[in-house]
Amino acid sequence: MNPGTILLALAFLSGLSGTAILARSYLRDDDAYLSYVPKLTAGTAVLLVAALAHLTYQFINQDYTNAYVWENTASYLSLLYRVTGVYAANEGSVLLWAAIVAVVALVASLSRGFPTRRGKLIHAFTVGLVTYFTAMLLLQSPFASVRTEFPNAPPGFVPTSGQGLNPLLVDPYMAIHPPVMFISYALLTMPFAIGAAHFIALFRGDDGLFSAWIGSVTRWLRLSWLFLTAAVALGGLWSYTVLGWGGIWAWDPVETAILVPWLFLTATLHAVTNYRPGGRYRILAPAMTASVFALAVYTTSVVRSGVFRSIHSFADGGIGASFLILMGITTLLGVVAPFAYWLLQNDDSDDDAEAAAGESGLAGWINRSNLLHLAVLLFGLLTFVSLWGLSFPVLRSAMTGLEVSVESRYYNLWSFPLVLAVLLLLGFYMDYERDGLRRSLISLGVFGLATVVGAAVAPSETWRLASVRPSDAFVYQLVGNASALSVLPPVAYAIFGTVKRTGSRIAATTSRDAKLKESGITLIHVGAALLVLSLPFMYLFAGQASVMATGVASGAVDTSQRDVGDSPYDVRVLGYEQNEFPNNPEPETYALSSSQVLTRGQSLNTSVQAVHGTVTAIREGPQATVVQLDNSQVWVGVAGNGSVGIETGQEVVARGQVMWEFVPTADAIVLAGPQTIGPADDPPESVVPTRVVANGVSLAVYDEDGIVVSGVAGQREYPQQGGLQVRDVLIDRGPLVDTYVIAGVSDGTASISVKRVPFVTLMRVSILALLVGMLLVLFFDPRHGVRTSASAGTSDRRSAQQTGSDAGAVQEVSD
Amino acid sequence: MNPRKAMTIAFFALLLGIGYLSMNAAPVLSDEGYSYHGEVKWQTNYSSAVETAAAEDEPVVIYYWTTWCTYCEDYNRNVYSDPAVQSELDEFTKVAVNLDSDSESATRLQQRYNINYPPQHVIVTPEGEVLTRIPGYAAKDDFRSYLETAKQRYQAGQTANGTSQSTENTAGRLTEAAV
Repeated sequence: MNPGTILLALAFLSGLSGTAILARSYLRDDDAYLSYVPKLTAGTAVLLVAALAHLTYQFINQDYTNAYVWENTASYLSLLYRVTGVYAANEGSVLLWAAIVAVVALVASLSRGFPTRRGKLIHAFTVGLVTYFTAMLLLQSPFASVRTEFPNAPPGFVPTSGQGLNPLLVDPYMAIHPPVMFISYALLTMPFAIGAAHFIALFRGDDGLFSAWIGSVTRWLRLSWLFLTAAVALGGLWSYTVLGWGGIWAWDPVETAILVPWLFLTATLHAVTNYRPGGRYRILAPAMTASVFALAVYTTSVVRSGVFRSIHSFADGGIGASFLILMGITTLLGVVAPFAYWLLQNDDSDDDAEAAAGESGLAGWINRSNLLHLAVLLFGLLTFVSLWGLSFPVLRSAMTGLEVSVESRYYNLWSFPLVLAVLLLLGFYMDYERDGLRRSLISLGVFGLATVVGAAVAPSETWRLASVRPSDAFVYQLVGNASALSVLPPVAYAIFGTVKRTGSRIAATTSRDAKLKESGITLIHVGAALLVLSLPFMYLFAGQASVMATGVASGAVDTSQRDVGDSPYDVRVLGYEQNEFPNNPEPETYALSSSQVLTRGQSLNTSVQAVHGTVTAIREGPQATVVQLDNSQVWVGVAGNGSVGIETGQEVVARGQVMWEFVPTADAIVLAGPQTIGPADDPPESVVPTRVVANGVSLAVYDEDGIVVSGVAGQREYPQQGGLQVRDVLIDRGPLVDTYVIAGVSDGTASISVKRVPFVTLMRVSILALLVGMLLVLFFDPRHGVRTSASAGTSDRRSAQQTGSDAGAVQEVSD
Repeated sequence: MNPRKAMTIAFFALLLGIGYLSMNAAPVLSDEGYSYHGEVKWQTNYSSAVETAAAEDEPVVIYYWTTWCTYCEDYNRNVYSDPAVQSELDEFTKVAVNLDSDSESATRLQQRYNINYPPQHVIVTPEGEVLTRIPGYAAKDDFRSYLETAKQRYQAGQTANGTSQSTENTAGRLTEAAV
């Protein structure tokens, strides 16, 4: 048992007892032992964080006694990428996730406690989830001994170098993307626990707890939306720089899989806004709240279980099965339970009451609550499009044996009309609130008509959304032939409506918090509209041209300025560079000294090791030469006759199988060959394998106004990791257009492509607007803001009592 | 009818409609033993393809792809659709391997030639010796010259790295030198 496993085992015990006490206390309504629960919750969190810290420490120190560390790092990596190795594969990611959920459970228990019976159930769910994760970790541990990888090695054996980090993860974006994503998933466990506990309470004949917890639910959902948005954005920006696709989104299964919970979370936020205790959405809002987490787990199963493999599924193994079980449990609690309750309870009392109070005719159809419902449904459809695209190829292949392809066209063409509808609805909703039914209907008609006209008018073929083939289905022909011009009226309507409404709302209130919240809501919706605007143009109007430069490596390259295809760009190749890593590292970092060999002794027997030391004696035999290191009992044997090019007094490195007490006159002999021994200041390739070969051309790109960007573009190849290549791209981030340079260098020839990608900065700004907007709403919302709740203390409980007493009379609230 | 209920019914109707239509409109990628990429027909069963190749005495080009790889789409659009490439490819047995496939033979072919990202081509002899590799995307002229190289090597009986490594037992000789 190593310290890591002990920490995990203790965390499991502590979590399990906490869950058991809470469950017992909920079921029996008996508070015995309950005073231990806060300590156990805190203990679990501390132990898991300690386990995570311990693993991180092992990574920083390159402790190869741990198999997981050995698999996911190497000593040439910088400190940052040693740390990112922690979550490079399944085990570490689950540990990170578990630690964050444990902290979330701790924060929830500290801030609110569990004074009520249902509160205990909620807490039982979160702590139970932590316990489940911990059990997964015990089954497939990130602290397994490296001996599992080398079952035949002698006891005490430790490798001297690691396998290295997945090259795709050697990127600053990837250093922060996974933690941000796991934070958002961990935050979703609270809404899940509240939603699931709500339905269990309902089944037990209670009136549920959602109304009392609505403030908490809103804050947790908003906070996880903030992190999830950041995670999606970071993932997109990563693929823009690392994969050399020249775009931020390729609908690869994992990108799609993180978009699914994002879309559904967005729908849920709108549904929760539409919730009235005892009234409308009294089933749908809690049900959606509970199911977001189920979707997030589905997403993770997609990534980690190997059901749909893609570039992201770094590893496969037993954790996949555990995730499938977790998927079953969360689906049961989050999706099946609410649905069953709805089927059993299908009475329309709330709707009747509302219908009686409402108006008839068109005005009965169009009110804010119904419009919000339509928004929830449209987001639901968008979620479905992505979810279905992930799922149906598997379904169809399972049913018919035919393999069908889901191209990006499927996602793009089905989502496009839905997104336009969402924007038109947004504009109408805002407009309606401010200007009333008649005027807003007229504007909707005008903008709707403009959208249809825009779809029909294509200034050139470039404007059409997709190139369609005659054999395509009618829907693809219709949407594919539409012009990107159609995106402008909905975007304009949405922005115009939102800004106008904000103006009047801010003028109407004197509260600083309310003003800040309104600004936040505006930033989010305007940001979303601008994001939609940027996307089609980014792809349709991206231009690319290439030029070949020969003789780069030999220095015979033409360094004059020349045209890049038929693009407006010129390029000038300035030079060529090739770098290899690690570059003559210190021998101590990769080889054992003679004294280390003697200390480790028998445990090294028959393993292949690198050694270093000063030559103190050389004996040449007819068929082999032996070299003594540091006047010790460690010798290096080199097969073959003739000189090995080594002199006495020289510092050397050698690599080979270590034979312990193999010959009578030496304790250890390292069986090397002429290729695997050499001077320490110029070690042979086979002793210090090259991990990374970076090939690049330094170049400058010009347009008619002069230089646009200069620097090095090329690729990094990882020969030790299957020859995987990662692009080093050169990007000039302009206000309107990004200039994106990719160079592929092989055999002394560089193929240079220059792309013009429009509106990337617009996209960056719109994402920033989404994030800043949500921060403002999260903190300053007068009803459910973090600030308000912190200052009001137990406001949730008080407002719950109020809303409970006058459920029907709650005023229409603004969002 | 209650407006929200009406909208919800419309929602489910749309959802089913989208689901049904899209599933049936999706282009067929592969059926019994074949997959299609840019008007070129590739076999998916490696062992039967190797038999064909051996019988016809021609090299095998293995194409590793995925549905979501953008450079694979470029291959479909710019390379495989080119008549010159197609006639060049006629002299090869063509096998396509979906990297997302979990089937045993696909996994084996991935591991055998150490493939971990799409798109890649490996051109081998019917016996499985590597003639040449095309890592990543190659424009149609480069692609054709790769095919040409592979064909010449095949006819000349060469492979990409012809050296063989012999293992030698050094223990006896070492003992002799050490004492």
